[in-house]
Amino acid sequence: MRYGDFTPFDIVLLLQGLGVSLALFVSTTLIGLVIGTAWAVIRFYRVPVLAQIVAFIAELLKNSPVLVQLFLVFFGLPAFLKINVTPTEAAVITLSGNSAAFIYVIAVSAIESVGRDQIEAARVFGLTRWQILRRVIAPQAAAFAIGPLTGLLVNQLQVTSLISVIGVMDLTKVGNILNLRTLKPFIVWTAVGALYYLTAKLVAYAGGRFEKRLRAHTAWRGL
Amino acid sequence: MISVSGVRKSFGAATVLNGVDLEIRQGEVVSVLGSSGSGKSTLIRCINGLEKIDAGKITVDNFDVSKPRELSEARKRSGTVFQLFNLYPHMTAVQNVALAPVEVLKVPRKQAEAEARELLKSVGLSDRADAYPSQLSGGQRQRVGICRALAMKPSYLLLDEVTSALDPEMTSEVLSILAKLAKGGTTMVFVTHEIEFARSISTRIAFLDKGTLIADLPTEEFFSDKGMALPRVAQFLSKMRKD
Repeated sequence: MRYGDFTPFDIVLLLQGLGVSLALFVSTTLIGLVIGTAWAVIRFYRVPVLAQIVAFIAELLKNSPVLVQLFLVFFGLPAFLKINVTPTEAAVITLSGNSAAFIYVIAVSAIESVGRDQIEAARVFGLTRWQILRRVIAPQAAAFAIGPLTGLLVNQLQVTSLISVIGVMDLTKVGNILNLRTLKPFIVWTAVGALYYLTAKLVAYAGGRFEKRLRAHTAWRGL
Repeated sequence: MISVSGVRKSFGAATVLNGVDLEIRQGEVVSVLGSSGSGKSTLIRCINGLEKIDAGKITVDNFDVSKPRELSEARKRSGTVFQLFNLYPHMTAVQNVALAPVEVLKVPRKQAEAEARELLKSVGLSDRADAYPSQLSGGQRQRVGICRALAMKPSYLLLDEVTSALDPEMTSEVLSILAKLAKGGTTMVFVTHEIEFARSISTRIAFLDKGTLIADLPTEEFFSDKGMALPRVAQFLSKMRKD
């Protein structure tokens, strides 16, 4: 067997890389969901000062390349703030922030999509702000948001591949290493691409299932 | 008692309520009549605290609705039924009715839902109890809306043009329920365009014209010479009857 041949162990390597990509994707999505939703609620209640700060940060994150943000965190934090970050930490911070900014946009429009009249009804019956948010706004906003959110997450999964440039051993990085060793880019990148594809399909499928459940009240059977 | 005294409310340059005084005692059914834009709905929205009044005072059982601390107590005593139903679309009829009892009155969910089913049964909706609002007709939705208000066991029912989005058939579904409630002694403030119906169930009629209460008379008197002596009322009644 020559050095440049594929070995069965390469599959394990690829799966390990996929595991790292998935772990990053899931963790940054969850963090992004919490932060992005919190930002949207701040904006919905027009919390003074905070709402403006949130809008400003979200604008910055949305309108600059993720790669640039990643470099700023990975090289900028140690250089200017003397905070050392590992590649994984830098990846988690950057991707969470980026997801949060886009989830914020979706969550804002989802919350605004809930009719004022129902909120008035809930107020009249004495529900508190928090009860209205939890029982009236959130379920409907979630049903509204799940479609665009699934689309965003499929995209964010691909975006995780950027972190390979700072040395995180994700699927793309593994693909890179295999490619350099075997010099068979077409085979390696096809395999890597297929793994991303299958994972993305899985995310979309899960989103679709979830959407059906959240939208039970608008059983729409087509024209 | 609901007491409205010297209430003024304007939206920008438009004065909608211009010094309104009105008292509604336990057991009364007071219909508020008047042409569109006369301030009828705004009056209801001021009583349940959805609009802040610019001047005057509104109390529900002596709880001042303009004080945030007292507003929640005032709201517990009145139930509102809306013109466009305002149901929660993601909840079934039962869940719509049971939400406020569970969240505000802390009634156990099972009990609240059982009571909701009873209420829905009393308005002829026992077989639609688990349907979502989008699966109900307008008349059925409004009946759910009435049950939702009754579920809080309010002392006063505030009805804001509850039939004006419904066709005549559905209107009569809803009105027959209101007639039953009125007979049962429920106190109601009934903003409406259904003059004949108002006449049949009301103990008193209040007539709003451009934000001013120009008549507040017992039903008999309002529809007699005394009411007709007011030119604006006579004009309104003759127009409505022609339609």
